[in-house]
Amino acid sequence: MSKLKIKGVEIVETFAEAFPMVGTRIIITAPTQKWALIAAQTMTGFATSVIACGAEAGVERLLGPDETLDGRPGVAVLIFAMEIEKLQRQLRNRVGQCVLTSPGSACFAGLGGEKKLKLGASLRFFGDGWQMSKVIGGRRFWRIPVMDGEFVCEEKTGLTKNAVGGGNLLVLGRSHRAVLAACVRAVKAIGEVPDVITPFPGGIVRSGSKVGSKYKGQIASTNDAYCPTLKGAVNTALPLNVEAVMEIVIDGLTAPAIAKAMRAGIYAIAKAGASEGITHITAGNYGGNLGPHHFHLKEIVA
Amino acid sequence: MSALTLELVTEPNQRLDLSPLTTAGLAGRKPKDIQAIAIGTTRESVTVGDVFKLKGTDAAKLRFIGTDERCDRIGQGLTEGEIIVDGSAGAYLGATMRAGKIAVSGSTGPFAGASMRGGMIDIAGDVGERAGGVGVGENYGVCGGRLSIGGKAGAMLGERMRRGLIIGRGGAGDYAGARMIAGSILLKGRIGRWAGYGLRRGTLILDKEPNDLLPTFGDCGTLHFDWLRLLDRQLKATDGRFKIGYRARRLIGDMAVLGKGEMLILA
Repeated sequence: MSKLKIKGVEIVETFAEAFPMVGTRIIITAPTQKWALIAAQTMTGFATSVIACGAEAGVERLLGPDETLDGRPGVAVLIFAMEIEKLQRQLRNRVGQCVLTSPGSACFAGLGGEKKLKLGASLRFFGDGWQMSKVIGGRRFWRIPVMDGEFVCEEKTGLTKNAVGGGNLLVLGRSHRAVLAACVRAVKAIGEVPDVITPFPGGIVRSGSKVGSKYKGQIASTNDAYCPTLKGAVNTALPLNVEAVMEIVIDGLTAPAIAKAMRAGIYAIAKAGASEGITHITAGNYGGNLGPHHFHLKEIVA
Repeated sequence: MSALTLELVTEPNQRLDLSPLTTAGLAGRKPKDIQAIAIGTTRESVTVGDVFKLKGTDAAKLRFIGTDERCDRIGQGLTEGEIIVDGSAGAYLGATMRAGKIAVSGSTGPFAGASMRGGMIDIAGDVGERAGGVGVGENYGVCGGRLSIGGKAGAMLGERMRRGLIIGRGGAGDYAGARMIAGSILLKGRIGRWAGYGLRRGTLILDKEPNDLLPTFGDCGTLHFDWLRLLDRQLKATDGRFKIGYRARRLIGDMAVLGKGEMLILA
């Protein structure tokens, strides 16, 4: 059987193993796009992995004034966690500390649906009795007096239990520079896909992990099979000429959105062809027994 | 199916109680049955057939033609469908209604939309006193939905309102928004004395400063309000005729009661 290649880059016949998550979208607006983005980036900072951050979050996309409820520029943010209670706590803390505090901001639901998470419903207490609610077009908003006027925050936002976390691509290449450049392209392409985020720094992870460790109490440790400096010592997954590996982790509101994002990522990576120095695109999995979602690269690029 | 039309052809010799003539009340009923419905309010009995000419069959959309200020309780307690009034209406138009739509081309008497819970009322002309106020035997004024008035509103507009939105384009009489518990009233034009009397929570949005301001309101100065942007856009989508912007002078009160309401005078 011949190997699947796109422009000379080998697409390894494997699959990304992903997990069910709970998630929501919120919309942050501000007087300018810059300040909406500052609030959003502050809120989604330190939210790369549920392993130690409590949530995975990121900026989904920028919104023009014609796309937001209040007619100001905005940003759509996605946030995910493993359980509803944890997501609720993370949402409250992050919006409370990072959006409420940001000059001129307002915060709205970005997802409908029956199931809801509290947004303004818990933050309103900051108003110390001076908060007011307004129902406009069937949606309830809280007006919380703050030093630059009022923080307007929708009472609730929708919740989805169909979210998926941990869709991923592993990019193998002959130079660090080539892998980084290819991954940057992929993150940009994935950024165009709706309903997904890439929560790691700039969308890229350089320290993929495996489950467990030789040390007690360490739940995740370096993915030695993909560490180029350990090729000669461990059961490596890397050819000898591979100098760097980077991973793109994708969280999405739905499984099809992740598949779409992975496809966009693969094509963006392979765009420059094997001559750039990219040798393989593969994906991380745990043998298929841990996560119910399997994204087979072969099917995704088909 | 065409809308069920009731045209007033004989001037009645008494006030009429048209509350039985709602979309739900007439659904599936035969013209003969409808004609037999009693709508009189005195010892002398009057039925629908005595004064109205019936046309059409679809009771989900009712149309009254030629009604006057003696036709009370049109659409009272409405729960679904649409009522169009080509003419005027008496007291209690759409009072306690829960859902659906009522549109009136003329004016109405007192208590229009009193204690309504939901739905939409659109009145092109003037309304009498206590529009959106407390209906007899009720605790609160408007508790949801939208009451829109094209002309002048009488006294006590939105008295003890609790939720929802009232829009008045031709000003209002005395005590506008009196004893309001919550909700929003938007008023364009001249308003009478004692606006916001006993306002607990809720918002009165006025396009100009009233001649008389209650001394129990505290001035917060002219500020910007992001929530007005939400309201402005909502109005643009549903009611293009009212532009509010987002800057307003805020008067907080009524300090004689809870004092958490506000009068916003648009800048």
